[in-house]
Amino acid sequence: MTTSAILLIAISVITTGLVLGVIFSLVAAGVTIVYGSIWLPNASNGQFFLTAALICWSFVTWLAVPIWVAALLTLAVSLPISYLLEATLIRRFYDVPDRNIAYFVLTLGVTQILSGIFSVTYGRWSDQFNLPPMIAGVTFIGPFPMTNNRIFVLGAASVLLALLFAMLRFHPYGRALRAVFQNREAAALRGVNVRAIYRLSFALGMLSIFAGGILYGMAYSFDLTVAWTMAVTAFAIMIVGGPGSVLGAVVVGMVFGFTQAGVSTFTSPTLATFSYLAAMLIILLLKPSGLFSR
Amino acid sequence: MTDLFVARDLCKRFGGLQALRNVDVVQRAGETLGMIGPNGSGKTSFVNAVTGELALDSGTIDFAGRDITGVRPHKVARAGLARTFQAVRIFARLSVRDNLQTAMLVLDDAANSLEAEERVELLHWLKLDHRLDAVAGSLTLFEQRRLELAMRLMMRPQLIMLDEPVGGLAPGEIRAMMQILNELKARCSIFVIEHTMRVIRELADRVVVLITGEKIADGPPVDILKDQRVIEQYLGTAHA
Amino acid sequence: MRRYLRSAITPQLLLLLAAAIALAVVVSGNRFFAFVLGITMISILWAAGMNLLTGYTGLVSLAFAGIAGISAYGTVGLVMRCGWSFWLAMPVAVLGAAVVGVLLGLPSLRLKGFYFALSSLVIQTVLSLGFVYFIGLTNGDTGISQIPPPDIPLTGVSFHGIGFDLLLTFAAWLSLAATWAIAHSPFGRRLVAIREDEVLAEAIGIDVIRNKMLVFFVGSLYAGVGGALYATYVGFASPRSFDLLSSLSIWLMVAFGGRGTFMGPVVGALILAPVPFMLQQYDTLKDVIYGALIIAVIVLMPGGVYGTLLAYVRRLPSLKRYLSKQRGGVPNDGSVRRS
Repeated sequence: MTTSAILLIAISVITTGLVLGVIFSLVAAGVTIVYGSIWLPNASNGQFFLTAALICWSFVTWLAVPIWVAALLTLAVSLPISYLLEATLIRRFYDVPDRNIAYFVLTLGVTQILSGIFSVTYGRWSDQFNLPPMIAGVTFIGPFPMTNNRIFVLGAASVLLALLFAMLRFHPYGRALRAVFQNREAAALRGVNVRAIYRLSFALGMLSIFAGGILYGMAYSFDLTVAWTMAVTAFAIMIVGGPGSVLGAVVVGMVFGFTQAGVSTFTSPTLATFSYLAAMLIILLLKPSGLFSR
Repeated sequence: MTDLFVARDLCKRFGGLQALRNVDVVQRAGETLGMIGPNGSGKTSFVNAVTGELALDSGTIDFAGRDITGVRPHKVARAGLARTFQAVRIFARLSVRDNLQTAMLVLDDAANSLEAEERVELLHWLKLDHRLDAVAGSLTLFEQRRLELAMRLMMRPQLIMLDEPVGGLAPGEIRAMMQILNELKARCSIFVIEHTMRVIRELADRVVVLITGEKIADGPPVDILKDQRVIEQYLGTAHA
Repeated sequence: MRRYLRSAITPQLLLLLAAAIALAVVVSGNRFFAFVLGITMISILWAAGMNLLTGYTGLVSLAFAGIAGISAYGTVGLVMRCGWSFWLAMPVAVLGAAVVGVLLGLPSLRLKGFYFALSSLVIQTVLSLGFVYFIGLTNGDTGISQIPPPDIPLTGVSFHGIGFDLLLTFAAWLSLAATWAIAHSPFGRRLVAIREDEVLAEAIGIDVIRNKMLVFFVGSLYAGVGGALYATYVGFASPRSFDLLSSLSIWLMVAFGGRGTFMGPVVGALILAPVPFMLQQYDTLKDVIYGALIIAVIVLMPGGVYGTLLAYVRRLPSLKRYLSKQRGGVPNDGSVRRS
């Protein structure tokens, strides 16, 4: 193998790793925020990730709107969906002790419904879905090409992650949310409206998952199986990073992104999924609170 | 009198907090031993360590002539050392009868299981006989404490460790509970944790005082009350 | 133990057996209905095993179908490749699966509630990937077809038609009798105690680790027997038969009927197992229906159909004495709303 071929592979692993890493981080951050506050392990995160990509695809394909309009519309659609889920299913368990297992099984049910619906609808229409690029063209990093579209995805996801971080740290809502993470009762005593924070964090989590799905759909072509892979990946990131730790989600998300990019280059992506499962199991057994727990 | 229970040099550290610091405790058979100390002084850690709930850093525990250091909780219970919990712990969703029958399982195979009339007498004494079909979680706290006691006695313990047995009870109930505990002395040896002196003074033959994980005094309640260090470090602050 | 086995032969159970046999005979004229009934019987067996884990002990084990798969592939391999009799192959494979089941249950010693359920989901996923990956043993995604039915020893013929249906009926009944015996034994009481409060259970002398391992062993026996019977009855085994969705379906039968009650899982299996057959070509609708039912059970009816009925009937004084003999309750997995 020539030096330039090795370099080419290395660059491709790095760029793919970066793009996948930020998307993984975004989705896992959404999942971990919701677990940290509500104690809801969203097993259907992968299906919602896919839902976002499919809705965006539908806007583009059927309404023929520009991709950026479709993306914004899809994000907007996540809000009523969040509200509906929160009001009908999630709200009623807020005061149940050990509610995480109830939520877990509940979201497995949601997963089954969505996957059943998608397989008889979208699954019949097409095997592979593609979104048009946000920005056309190719930029050369030295001699190595990277599509402008993926550069945009990388940038957008990074900006969203930064916004999420900034909001959690500086905005009053974010500070209240972190207070609820740490101690629900103490936060309530300090006058934080815990239920409002729960609703907010659920909507925020769904928004992150939706954003991840849209960006993934922009960067790569996808099929229905991406839902399952993403669900496993996001859960593994959350567990390894420490449930409730956004920093953990980002760090482990990046690591998993590069793992995926590296492993997929040389062998099958299934092996990457397999390694996430192994990592999750090991962490569950050795340090269930995760690597970045407070 | 023979030594029923000997704890030597118990040490336990939680991160930066020394929960137990070289604690020695000896209890003779038939003796009622009290342990006092302010909240967070390591009393519950001591009981958890003795009953196998908590792994010790160092130290040994003998019970009834047997080394029970590091023995798992169910084996400690089977060896005849029963314990109750500071926050009452019962099978809240099962009936009182089911709670009691579950506690009897431990002796199901042994020949020394409680005879039927003994059980009737026990439940009558603890005034639980009319509550057998009730769901345990629906009982009053005082009833739950009595149920907890009955469950332990179903196991025929030699020693029972009570973690704040009158905690949360109303004044009238405390008096009734004190009478029960005084009568309990006829059935088994008692080790009792309290952070109020009153209960201990009335109940215990001897008292161990624990402060920040360290034993600072050990003797009859009258002497302990006069001990200058105890007055300074514990009673002084408690009465303030 | 014999005392409890003898107590297993109660009039109710004999009535159940008679009803099941009668049903098998009645539907035997129509192969389609007979097949649906056969699958329902295997589902009852599986639900009974899942009930021991989830209902009585409070462990949501989503690797249940994976264990069944190990036994199914084991049995099929020993019969088709090594030429063993089904009656030799099945016990060996079931025992193997049960040992694996105990090993895979080990995380339950450290993990509780959601974390254990998640670890079992991971294990189920790994098993599913394994079924696809070890093509030499499992023929991968294609699956193994033309699996011969169990032989009738020393006769040279095999179980088929009504004979096989009756065999399944008997197996399902046997599993219920065993569950009944366990539920009324000290072992069953220990499991309930562990479900309700592990720390208290230990404090009153119950060996939590040993009893958890035991229940994983016994539960995996149910899974394994069901797996071996399923593969030989359908004549086909593929990774899809033993995946996460299968585990969830079995969990749903138990929860829909009523966790921790004796009859609940039977009711759940009787209602839910025939659903995929009624849908025929709209097979994927099954996922949607099952998913909706999972949500409905968690949100509206934590006690399940039978459990809710039981709770209602218990309030009627005339039936109180009869029902007070039946034990049961709702497991402590958070799906119960407490006041």
